[in-house]
Amino acid sequence: METAINPWWIIGGVLFAVLNTAAGLIWVERRMLALWQDRYGPNRAGPFGLLIVLADSIKMFFKEDWIPPFADRLVFVFAPAIVVATVLMSFTIIPVAPGVVVADFNIGLLLFLAFSSLGAYSIMLGGWASNNKYALLGAMRGAAQMITYEVFMGLSLMGVVLLSGSFNLTDIVLAQQDGWFIVPQFIGFFIFLVAGLAETHRLPFDIPESESELVAGFHTEYSGMKFGMFFIGEYMGVTLISALVTTLYFGGWLGPDFLPPIFWFLAKTFAFICLFILLRASLPRPRYDQLVEYGWKFLLPLALVNLLVTGAIRLMQ
Amino acid sequence: MLLQSSASSYLPILIQGIMALAFVGITMVITHLVGPKRRTIDKLTPFESGISSVGNARSPFSIKYFLVAILFVLFDVEVIFMYPWAVNFRELGGKGMIEMFVFMGMLLLGFFYVIRKGALDWEK
Amino acid sequence: MNLAFNIAAVIAIVCTVMVVTRYNIMHALLYLVTSFMAVAVIFFTYGAPFIAALELIVYAGAIMVLMVFVIMMLNLGGGSAAQEKQWLSLRVWVFPAILSLILLGELIWLIYSEQYIGSEQIKVVDTKEVAVALYGPYVVAVELSAMLLMAGIVGAYHLGRQRKKIVHRFLERSNP
Repeated sequence: METAINPWWIIGGVLFAVLNTAAGLIWVERRMLALWQDRYGPNRAGPFGLLIVLADSIKMFFKEDWIPPFADRLVFVFAPAIVVATVLMSFTIIPVAPGVVVADFNIGLLLFLAFSSLGAYSIMLGGWASNNKYALLGAMRGAAQMITYEVFMGLSLMGVVLLSGSFNLTDIVLAQQDGWFIVPQFIGFFIFLVAGLAETHRLPFDIPESESELVAGFHTEYSGMKFGMFFIGEYMGVTLISALVTTLYFGGWLGPDFLPPIFWFLAKTFAFICLFILLRASLPRPRYDQLVEYGWKFLLPLALVNLLVTGAIRLMQ
Repeated sequence: MLLQSSASSYLPILIQGIMALAFVGITMVITHLVGPKRRTIDKLTPFESGISSVGNARSPFSIKYFLVAILFVLFDVEVIFMYPWAVNFRELGGKGMIEMFVFMGMLLLGFFYVIRKGALDWEK
Repeated sequence: MNLAFNIAAVIAIVCTVMVVTRYNIMHALLYLVTSFMAVAVIFFTYGAPFIAALELIVYAGAIMVLMVFVIMMLNLGGGSAAQEKQWLSLRVWVFPAILSLILLGELIWLIYSEQYIGSEQIKVVDTKEVAVALYGPYVVAVELSAMLLMAGIVGAYHLGRQRKKIVHRFLERSNP
């Protein structure tokens, strides 16, 4: 792939953008939640409370880096690193603009699925290593939830792969020039969105850390920057799912010509981040068994039917 | 397609991986160095909302979780078979579609058996 | 390319040795995951990206998760580590270790002997080629594996089946 831009710049740019987005989301999420729930939100530090990001990260850095004596030291330190590393690696496959992609892979989408399945370890190992009952309960729930929804995530993506005939995300975007995949793949989009929510354990599905029953779930014993890793890992996961939804179903960088492609990509991604926050603001948390049964009994058959119908229609054309 | 194309495409992901790990490592080391260190007696026990802890957290678990995990592995392998079919859908055409129908039919047969037996009903 | 292969191979071997020698089973599993990732890199460098992705998704992502689940469920903690320590005595492992070392030496010698140095022309096998092979000449194998997986699903249910409890468990205890 001919790229005019130095790959080092792309890697640096992607990492810089993702980390800053994740940090910025601390402020964005609180302000938006406040807006939707009729509260003020952070408004003291700096203009519009923007410096809360800085204040929060400084606070996180100067907290005690505590490893409990009853924990398994190696695994305890390792678990928060996994979530950040896997999500950051997943960003390599996302094309931001024509030619601006870290790794133009033929198996891009598979790589995302691989990294997201590796991400499940961070919850399981974090909860197990903590040696705390709340943490263990959270870890078991989290792991079961993540692996359940991973199956449908893979299946829902197959519809897009079927239409575009490629795992390469650049090809998938280019295949959407005649029309975004949201129209033929609406069901796939819905399943992917739900699976993405479950995979990042965002609020309607934050059962592994549901604070009203499990204190903080799998990261009950974590503090300081190790907790911070789980924290920004979640925000980066939201950004990743939003970017993927944009790329797979909403035409990625495609858009009217009067603005550069990268603008369209970022605008759509931001819109989906806001959708994630709106979902958090408005939906209650389901019970654990409801979540798992809903996944297996409703979403799995739906994903299979979607795939078969898409295939049959495609074949008739 | 020869070796070269794959070599040039996997290098950036390696670099990004190293940078991601470096970011994580440096952040954790910094916070370890600058953070305070106070050992108090309350920190030495697992947090259980102030109630003194009974027994070990390493306790046996419901078999339901195991069932979910094992079904996940099986379905994951099934989905794996669909990836190459989906990516090469146009070339495989109608024949591939029929093959996939048979494949998926068998998958659904097992799936409906499990549903009918109530293996996925959590409360039972 | 050769450098990447060498690094990944060394990591794979070291991690696998660590898997065998760790007393703590969770640490052993972590090393096994790392070993799978190294094997995925090897697949990748030798032109099989699809298999590399599958190695990560199926082995590192699915089967290992199941293993971690089982360990969490059976709560293999300090007791099992002590037992492991007892089992792993010198007499037990030294002979198989020597045999495996011989095999390893043979493998390294084969890889670096004249015969294989020249054959660096590696063809990248695309996912599409895998598909054409799978759903062409090997379609029977695919359908057979579907049957096997169906049997697996049914078997999994019977493995994880719980006896229905008619009596409430507190009543049961007081009234045996």
